[in-house]
Amino acid sequence: MFKRILIANRGEIACRVIRTARQMGIETVAVYSEADRAARHVALADRAVPIGPPPSASSYLAMDRILRAAQDSGAEAVHPGYGFLSENAAFCDLLEKNGIVFIGPKAGSIRALGDKIASKKLALAANVNTIPGYTDVIESAGQAVEIARGIGYPVMIKASAGGGGKGLRVAWNDDECREGFQSCRNEATAAFGDDRVFIEKFIVEPRHIEIQVLGDAHGSCLYLWERECSIQRRHQKVIEEAPSPFLDARTRRAMGEQAVALARAVDYQSAGTVEFVVGADARFYFLEMNTRLQVEHPVTEMITGLDLVEQMIRVAAGERLAYAQEDLRLDGWAIECRINAEDPFRGFLPSIGRLVKYMPPAELPGMVRVDTGVYEGGEISMHYDSMIAKLVAHGATRDQAIARMREALNAFVIRGVSTNIPFQAALMQHPRFVAGRFNTGFIAEEYPHGFRSEDVPHDDPALLVCVAAVLHRRYMDRAAGINGQLRGHERRVGPDWVVILDGAHHPVTVSNIAGGQHVAYRGEAYTVLSDWAFGHPLFRGTVNGREICLQVERRNLVYRLFHRGTQVDVMVLTARAAELHALMPRKPPPDLSRFLLSPMPGLLREVTVAAGQQVRAGEKLAVIEAMKMENVLRAESDAVVKQLLAKAGDSLAVDQPIVEFR
Amino acid sequence: MHDIIRQLDEKRAAARLGGGEQRIEAQHAKGKLTARERIELLLDPDSFEEWDMFVEHRCADFGMGEQKVPGDGVVTGYGTVNGRLVFVFSQDFTVFGGALSEAHAEKICKIMDHALKTGAPVIGLNDSGGARIQEGVASLGGYADVFQRNVLASGVIPQISVIMGPCAGGAVYSPAMTDFIVMVKDTSYMFVTGPEVVKTVTHEEVTAEELGGAVTHSTRSGVADRAFDNDVEALVMVRRLVNFLPPNNREKPPVRPTTDGADRLDYSLDTLVPDNPNSAYDIKELVFKVVDDTDFLELAPDYARNIVIGFGRMEGATVGIVANQPLVLAGCLDIRSSIKAARFVRFCDAFNIPLITFVDVPGFMPGTAQEYGGIIKHGAKLLYAYAEATVPKVTVITRKAYGGAYDVMSSKHLRGDVNFAWPSAEIAVMGPKGAVEIIFRKDLADPHKIAARTEEYRRKFANPFVAGSRGFIDDVIMPHETRKRICRSLAMLREKKLDNPWRKHGNIPL
Repeated sequence: MFKRILIANRGEIACRVIRTARQMGIETVAVYSEADRAARHVALADRAVPIGPPPSASSYLAMDRILRAAQDSGAEAVHPGYGFLSENAAFCDLLEKNGIVFIGPKAGSIRALGDKIASKKLALAANVNTIPGYTDVIESAGQAVEIARGIGYPVMIKASAGGGGKGLRVAWNDDECREGFQSCRNEATAAFGDDRVFIEKFIVEPRHIEIQVLGDAHGSCLYLWERECSIQRRHQKVIEEAPSPFLDARTRRAMGEQAVALARAVDYQSAGTVEFVVGADARFYFLEMNTRLQVEHPVTEMITGLDLVEQMIRVAAGERLAYAQEDLRLDGWAIECRINAEDPFRGFLPSIGRLVKYMPPAELPGMVRVDTGVYEGGEISMHYDSMIAKLVAHGATRDQAIARMREALNAFVIRGVSTNIPFQAALMQHPRFVAGRFNTGFIAEEYPHGFRSEDVPHDDPALLVCVAAVLHRRYMDRAAGINGQLRGHERRVGPDWVVILDGAHHPVTVSNIAGGQHVAYRGEAYTVLSDWAFGHPLFRGTVNGREICLQVERRNLVYRLFHRGTQVDVMVLTARAAELHALMPRKPPPDLSRFLLSPMPGLLREVTVAAGQQVRAGEKLAVIEAMKMENVLRAESDAVVKQLLAKAGDSLAVDQPIVEFR
Repeated sequence: MHDIIRQLDEKRAAARLGGGEQRIEAQHAKGKLTARERIELLLDPDSFEEWDMFVEHRCADFGMGEQKVPGDGVVTGYGTVNGRLVFVFSQDFTVFGGALSEAHAEKICKIMDHALKTGAPVIGLNDSGGARIQEGVASLGGYADVFQRNVLASGVIPQISVIMGPCAGGAVYSPAMTDFIVMVKDTSYMFVTGPEVVKTVTHEEVTAEELGGAVTHSTRSGVADRAFDNDVEALVMVRRLVNFLPPNNREKPPVRPTTDGADRLDYSLDTLVPDNPNSAYDIKELVFKVVDDTDFLELAPDYARNIVIGFGRMEGATVGIVANQPLVLAGCLDIRSSIKAARFVRFCDAFNIPLITFVDVPGFMPGTAQEYGGIIKHGAKLLYAYAEATVPKVTVITRKAYGGAYDVMSSKHLRGDVNFAWPSAEIAVMGPKGAVEIIFRKDLADPHKIAARTEEYRRKFANPFVAGSRGFIDDVIMPHETRKRICRSLAMLREKKLDNPWRKHGNIPL
């Protein structure tokens, strides 16, 4: 076994590889760019080597620097993680030439599978299902119908020169095929000056399901069941799970065997993933093979009990796989949510900045796992991927896994940068997700206009009412605990309050009991017990014995509660104050000025927008240098630039307009 | 006897009704509460003791003889906020538009006198059209009587003004002399002369809201310390403010029990200051993470944002916090921030509230606007305020403490009791680059030499050790232990005694 390995990666995957290596008694060497000097993987590794400036091309993708780091640190092997150099055959060759082991497949396997067309041919030869289609020139509508019949309806007719959905027709029978061929060809001629069209099997309600394979250098190759990754946003996976709620045992085995056949065809010696698209008819077709460890590998680990990184390292060190196919378990259900630093309420714009608070939920062996690459006080930089952690939940059943994931998401506190946690929590509540009824179009279908917090009505408003009432009672009791009160006339906090939620008034009675409060609300009794401390973002406890976890924040009059993807602002007032509050005018949100004003006197370094440009909320508009510091001005809301009123190099006074919006 | 009780009931009913149902409805329609409703929200339930319900004006001119409303447009008395005594007056816009008569002023003066005698805060809820013109000079005299009491009470008992309607002309000067001004957005305004006079005299067209609304005064003029969305929010927040304040200048600040440990460490603070000395960071994160339970009541959050001021608690007891804000204008001191902080420092000193100062200041703001505006005198206010303050003063330099601004920001030389520095502190006359360009002017043409000199200067001076070697810094502390070290310092200083020489009063550069 290796004594020391280098991890040619960063973020959560570098940390995750270090974790396994350490368990195996292997020393670890991290590499880092200048932007990652204070990163978590650097602190975790036994030693760390700087490899260059922040851009990946000059650091994490710089093969010579990583090779030198490995040589200088005496690493015998390199684990590439995913992304960066993980599927780079030239890097494998370079390491091999220098006597360093690449923890991954052989360069030959990577090359063979790296090309889409070549890998499809390989798959065909290995009797793996591929999407039936006809890529040569089709001369006539009659020929098109013949081809379509051969493939089997429905088929997709598409312009060869077209991209995306342009000029695409779906035909379910001969007539539609004839018609579609004609119109597609006409359109293609008009749009691209190229009348070539091709026909391919149309996959109805496609799901993305992939098979994890694992091979060694001694001819053994296993499939570790499947992962379903159909929940995607713009082709980026958002949620992955294993097993798939869609497959039956027969299909699972058929897919697994085909995946192994393909892996064997290229003498695959590591962990790899064979991706399939699966239609509503449960027919499956090969897409491509990823010759690396996947982001979503933990769900496979949770259901098999195997450590894939450990297996990769053992295989790379020449060991035999210690399991046969029939030894593998498929235990329960695992779901992974990718936690990304992005703002789901602002079109999923990446969010960068300082992690003012970062409190992942507690890991529970076999139930909740957090693969994280950041820490409280760390910085999310613009240079790399926005994924900062992966949250994985396991349960005996899918429902149990979902329930654990919901609770874990409730308890995941991140402040300072925006994250997709509310969106993930909303997905975990979505009836279609819960029922397993989805395909790769799910997010586009269900959230056609993006994601808004009001998309997530809370299913248990009584819980929100009770928690707000309890919070308020505790704040009031504490305020009344102040010294210097008039003797004999001390403040006594009463039990009667009104909780205002979404404009509705909910009278409650809150009385103190040992360890918590007793809330009477709408004739029901709720016993709320919690050891919550003032100012703490997590309110954990029990309501009538049921465990709860909400995130809470106090802002002036309002308690802001976050739970299951819902964010609500709740007020708690006395009955009289609530009555008076109802008289207060509802104010429309403040009128955002049509101007970007300079907040300080300084030098306008640059204006990054132009007249007529559409800008998104949070987008950079201009940079002002003042006191030798750069201040970035950002759009407060979506807008269109009407005109620029200042230019780079101008010296600005306070409140001087820089940009006018339409 | 029976008749008297019947009359009493009638008078009380009349007083409670103020200007009548119609005017109350009009007041509500404007989004405003009535004088009594406001008091209900401000004080603990059932704690209000009303005085002078039967006071009436004494004016007979212009038909005023027939128009008398018991209470005469202001509700006065005392009550409690979390069991602690406060005096309160609340002007009733439904009665003569809340206009101030001689009798109205006398009512206010009466509770102010009692507040001074008993050592309790005065809270004024202002909603008045101005002087009772029918009374002429008697009304003016009433204002002046209130002003005089505001001044005598200043520094003796806390005075809070909540502007909840119009407040114009001479009427603005009573709130102006109180310690805190809170305004309500869209329904309150303050100005010396209204839009019409402005138009006649200067030909400027401006609305009342633009001229003197809550947003104007909390962002542009700095007159208001906070602006809130409506009456309810404003009054609830005033209750929170009162909970930070001692009742008078003879008592220590109040203590509210806390479960937040004095020895709580926060390792995320170790990465708060960025590696790049020119990068900004949010000093409020430090403030929130240091005080008890992340409970910090910021004052003037939208005015002179290059300095942060407000109240927090350490081990339950109120502290005043002053912090340079690197996010805005690099945290430099200018006219506005100096005045904002100076006034706050003087309030804390007057009322025995310990001061915690977080320093990251690159210097005073340069420029003609500042010099012509008198930065010399205004900057001196902050220097004066810190130098005269005798309350416990704990200072933490997080990064830059350059030049004269270093001296100003509660330095050791101004009787700072405990002065800490983080390892990232740079205490120097100026930044390395500027210093080298002056000391080695002759080498300016040679960038290599300059770079080497800059590095040399940085090594020598851009650290806490030079100041430490002279004892200007008591210790270099790790950011994560900031709370613990401040708590200990404040505990050590709890019985601090320090007096300034006797004088009638100092002569702060106004």
